[in-house]
Amino acid sequence: MELELRGITKRFGAFTANDQISLKVEPGQIHSLLGENGAGKSTLMNVLFGLLRPDEGEILIDGVVTSITDSGEAVRRGIGMVHQHFMLVPVFSVTENVVLGFEPTKSLNRVDYRQATEDIHRLSRQFNLDVDPDAIVENLPVGLQQRVEILKALSHDAELLILDEPTAVLTPQEIDSLMEIMRSLAAAGKSILFITHKLKEVKAVADVITVIRQGRVVGTAEPSASESELASLMVGRDVRLTVEKTPYDPGDEVLEVRDLVVLDDRGLVAVNSVSLDVRAGEVLALAGVQGNGQTEFVEALVGMRPVQSGTITLHGRDITNLTPRQALDVGLGHIPEDRQRDGLVLSMSVADNLVLNTPRRAPFARHGTRNLSAVNENAQRLVRDFDIRTTSIQEPASSLSGGNQQKVIVARELSRSLEFLVASQPTRGLDVGSIEYVHRQIIEHRNRGNGSLIVSSELDEVLALGDRIAVMYEGRISGVVDPTASRESIGLLMAGHTTETASV
Amino acid sequence: MVTFFALVLGLAFGALVIVTTTPAVLDAWRAIFHGWNGLPHALNLTFNNVGAAYRSMFTGSVVDPQGLWHSITTGNGWTNTLTPISETLTYATPLVIASIGVGIAFQTGLFNIGANGQAVTGGIAGAVVGSMLHMPEIVHLPLTLLAGIAGGMICGAVPGVLKAYTGAHEVIVTLMFNYVTYAFLLFMVLSTPFQQPGQQNDIGRTMDHSAQLAPLFGTSSGLRVSYGVFVAAAVVVFAWWLLNRSSLGFDFRVTGANPSAARASGINARSVIVVVFLISGGLAGLAGVVQVASTTHYVDGGFLIGNAGIGFTAITVALLGRNRPMGIVWSALLFAALGVGGRNMQATTGIPLDLATVIQSAIVLMVATPVLVKEIFRLRSAATTTVQLATTGWGS
Amino acid sequence: MGLVSLVDATAATRVAIPVKNRRTRVIAVIMGLFGVFTVFVFGFGSTSGAHSSFTFNPINLANAPWRVGSLTVVTRWTDVVLGVVMVALATEMFLRRPRRGVMARFGFVAVLFLLGLLFWAARTPGPSPTSSVNITAILVGSSAAAMVLIFGSLSGVMCERSGVVNIAIEGQFIGGAFLGSMIASTTHDFFFAALGGLFVGGLIGLVLAFLSLRYRSDQIIVGVVLVTMLSSLSSYLNLQVFTPFPNFNTGILAPNLPIPLLSKIPILGPVFFNQSGFFYVMIVLVAVVSFALFKTRYGLHVRAVGEHPRAAATVGISVIRVRYINVVLGGAIAGLGGVAFMATQGQFQVGYTSGYGYIALAALIFGRWRPSGAVVASIIFGLSVYLSYNLVTYNVPISLYILQMFPYLITIAVVAGLIGRVRAPAADGQPYLRD
Repeated sequence: MELELRGITKRFGAFTANDQISLKVEPGQIHSLLGENGAGKSTLMNVLFGLLRPDEGEILIDGVVTSITDSGEAVRRGIGMVHQHFMLVPVFSVTENVVLGFEPTKSLNRVDYRQATEDIHRLSRQFNLDVDPDAIVENLPVGLQQRVEILKALSHDAELLILDEPTAVLTPQEIDSLMEIMRSLAAAGKSILFITHKLKEVKAVADVITVIRQGRVVGTAEPSASESELASLMVGRDVRLTVEKTPYDPGDEVLEVRDLVVLDDRGLVAVNSVSLDVRAGEVLALAGVQGNGQTEFVEALVGMRPVQSGTITLHGRDITNLTPRQALDVGLGHIPEDRQRDGLVLSMSVADNLVLNTPRRAPFARHGTRNLSAVNENAQRLVRDFDIRTTSIQEPASSLSGGNQQKVIVARELSRSLEFLVASQPTRGLDVGSIEYVHRQIIEHRNRGNGSLIVSSELDEVLALGDRIAVMYEGRISGVVDPTASRESIGLLMAGHTTETASV
Repeated sequence: MVTFFALVLGLAFGALVIVTTTPAVLDAWRAIFHGWNGLPHALNLTFNNVGAAYRSMFTGSVVDPQGLWHSITTGNGWTNTLTPISETLTYATPLVIASIGVGIAFQTGLFNIGANGQAVTGGIAGAVVGSMLHMPEIVHLPLTLLAGIAGGMICGAVPGVLKAYTGAHEVIVTLMFNYVTYAFLLFMVLSTPFQQPGQQNDIGRTMDHSAQLAPLFGTSSGLRVSYGVFVAAAVVVFAWWLLNRSSLGFDFRVTGANPSAARASGINARSVIVVVFLISGGLAGLAGVVQVASTTHYVDGGFLIGNAGIGFTAITVALLGRNRPMGIVWSALLFAALGVGGRNMQATTGIPLDLATVIQSAIVLMVATPVLVKEIFRLRSAATTTVQLATTGWGS
Repeated sequence: MGLVSLVDATAATRVAIPVKNRRTRVIAVIMGLFGVFTVFVFGFGSTSGAHSSFTFNPINLANAPWRVGSLTVVTRWTDVVLGVVMVALATEMFLRRPRRGVMARFGFVAVLFLLGLLFWAARTPGPSPTSSVNITAILVGSSAAAMVLIFGSLSGVMCERSGVVNIAIEGQFIGGAFLGSMIASTTHDFFFAALGGLFVGGLIGLVLAFLSLRYRSDQIIVGVVLVTMLSSLSSYLNLQVFTPFPNFNTGILAPNLPIPLLSKIPILGPVFFNQSGFFYVMIVLVAVVSFALFKTRYGLHVRAVGEHPRAAATVGISVIRVRYINVVLGGAIAGLGGVAFMATQGQFQVGYTSGYGYIALAALIFGRWRPSGAVVASIIFGLSVYLSYNLVTYNVPISLYILQMFPYLITIAVVAGLIGRVRAPAADGQPYLRD
């Protein structure tokens, strides 16, 4: 199908998420929409898929102006979406998920599962998407779950497939696999709208690239454009892709982890006998695709998850299986992966959030009674020192932007005297300015001679920050390299090869 | 603002119930089908009946303006004039205490639906200590109150511990405990030495004078309002300090607003849950013993019984007062006025007291919707707690 | 470049190390304690000559073509054997720590415990065929309670599978019983009474749905407030209507409709085939709900809405509509249950539903949100409720009131001990946010 967007505009109150966006996707074309987090890509996709209605502009399908009132309508028109967070019911089987809403029926409104399974087999063969129809979705690995999402869209006779940040949760090999699928779908005449913020992927597979920034289209490019050209378009200025660091001069070991075994929520092994060390004045970056045990590893470090076996020592002192309270008291700083869930209480004030970890410690409280003036003084100071943009320290944290919310957490952690900092996906969802800021803070912390562990699935961040890079795959460290290693070799480590086979 | 409209809507709903269940009024409305000229009569009757009902509620709970004028001018009859307010305060006193207990739990994201059972247990404990131990007042009264608190705490500890260590949803446990305590009450007043000597019925012993909460203005004044109001005032101050100034209260509010962040920032969810239930249960128990000690001075089989017992009213009062101590005080006064006024309404117009409860519930239903949505959202998100203790809806 | 073998990234290679499942062990210990209690208190606690006699003949069907003789057992050893079996099951579960079927085992042990209690309660110092316990009568009696609980838990299934918690079942029972009594007393027609129950229950469900879905109120709070309101309303109307006009509340009971041949089957015949119309309707309803929920398109949509409403919405299913329908239907079923309660209990009295609505919720959870499980749980709970009221006729030296606490305590135990392993529909209780 040929899809055209003309002048799509969507506002949320005073904020304009999409501003006169126009683009065209030809049949059989892979059109990539490139933009940072917060650029307006998700809003645009929600408009296209009928989940939001545009304030201005029109959508043309095969030259005809169409109004898409809800997702049912979008699907009927042949638009299929593969969501970033899968729209699959975990306890249902593949078949049940694929046919949901479009079930073949027998008498008495019964679902004809036999017919459904046949249809799935047919589609699988046609598009080379192998999957077991009876498998329960929550037991499938992420790559296969995504295939089910794609199958679902195809089964609705989608002519245009929107892929929303599909590679966030895939290994490099799975990404290659996905690109093969995209190419074959395009060859079969489907149009593909591929949304991402990753420059390399865009260059690898797109036919046409539309770059959007702050709600507007700022340019179109060919895949032959250089990465720095694309990056400048995306952020509007020359981006410094590295951060200045003092020379690497590690001191003694600060954190030692030996043979750590940690289980996940379902009782399966998530961290499989991991050992690593971090020294003073060093940033150890833990790289890897999300879902390989990094989350559970961090949770075990800060006391939020029990350790099955193995030890964690900080300055020689055993800190295995401490409670979160004890971990904080011992000097561990934690910037959590999900800042809104674990790091902040959005309904409480900025001032309260800035003492969230240490509300009982002097001077913030004495004998069980809080000292509000000390809390407020602390908040004023931190807001100034860390440049947190807020109208008042009494405002609820929910009124801050994502970047400023992260700054609150960073300020809170780095203003204590820490023995060790653990940061998990510290710049997720932040704009470039905030990313630079957070990186600078982490490096300064390191330059002062402290040790930290940064977990990130963004390869650029890992390469920029890490003095050493450990890669985690399926609960094990598949290799430790220095930042001069090639992206390819790290990618292979992320896919499970060990350093022997991954040397490039 | 919305609270005001909710009040209006609740009263309107009550008026509707009055109209549909008073035969004379209903007949008058039915007569309209025979001709529009029946309308003025129907309206007249409606206004008269509803007006009489609500007027008697007001004079029964606040003051009768005529009586007030009489007392001011002649200096006599103060007892009659002040009785309504006194009754309202008497009714409100235990209600405030129980509602604050429930409100504290709500602010922590916990539903203490068992406040009624905890009040019953507290009342029993207090009545036992008050009637079966004999000692001078200076010791007896505080001991009695403490017994009530302890009784409520024990009753509240069970759901708290179960929730903290097994993730059991406190709604079902506390609801079930209500029924368990009713049976316990009957057991106590019928099968144990606690039964009133010489009685075959389900009445417990009367408390000694030394254990009672005496009327503020003395027994001869005829006004029932007791020293219990000081207890209630102390509870309000305590609750304010706890929630707004204490570290513990900070932990409570963080847990209620975002249990994951609470856990990540070092708060021990388990101990918070147990402590909250101890406090909430203890306060409900205190409410129970204050109720007994200031009014009937004995418990019987019907003590706090039914779905409209003080513990359930406390839930609606806490909601209306947005779980904050001062708000709770005002809404408790309102509900007490409705209850006391309802009694007068029943006496003068014959409309049963239950109508007052119906109005109360209607008010709360109205309020529990748009305005409280944000508040309730915080409560709802509080229900998705940590790995160990998840209660999304029911279980992990 | 070294040799690179393409790892099939999709192969799951995680090793599943069995979890030291503490909770299963705790439950096993509780089961074991029940067993030990049975052995020592019920078993060795009976004198060696004590016998328990049971008859199985229906009391009101005199011309049964088959009569089964009575069964007399030696109390002590029967109970000891029962207890040993319970301990054996408990030990097996403790050691093997199975991940499935935990609740089924617990339920089985609970039934054995109740049996042991029964044997013990019915004992006489020597074999005495004159004082015997009529098992059939017990089963018939508890079937009334079980029936009401099944209606309630079916209502819960309907609502919660679509993601809405229905605490107001107790209120729907009250409403159904009240209106049903009015209609049945005046028209002597239980069919119309049933319709009334459906109407009132559905109406309450509509209010719950409206407040929860449209205004996104907390479903639990709305449910509790609704029950409070309905309880007061029923008390008020009882005084306004029933007291002055007792002909509206005669306490008429629904007649039994025996199925000709089947009701004469020994032991179980009267239990299943000599019941009121409500019982038969209940059976049909269980079958219909099970079928609808797990085999039909409608059921797939309902379950999707209850687990992952966004996923359902993106394929064009209207989450709000599905929830409205289910909550109203669920409410209607509970209302019908209220009528059924009245039809077997008699005259409406304030508060006489005594928490059955909440016990039904526990049965729902125990039964893992499936109709079949809810039925089994309701039967167990119905048995314990019935026994708690009727054991007093046998010389059981436990205070009557303690016995009456029993069903509620069991409910707490169920909810506390077992809930950790149970998965509610994932979106249960969460308000749905449209973008």
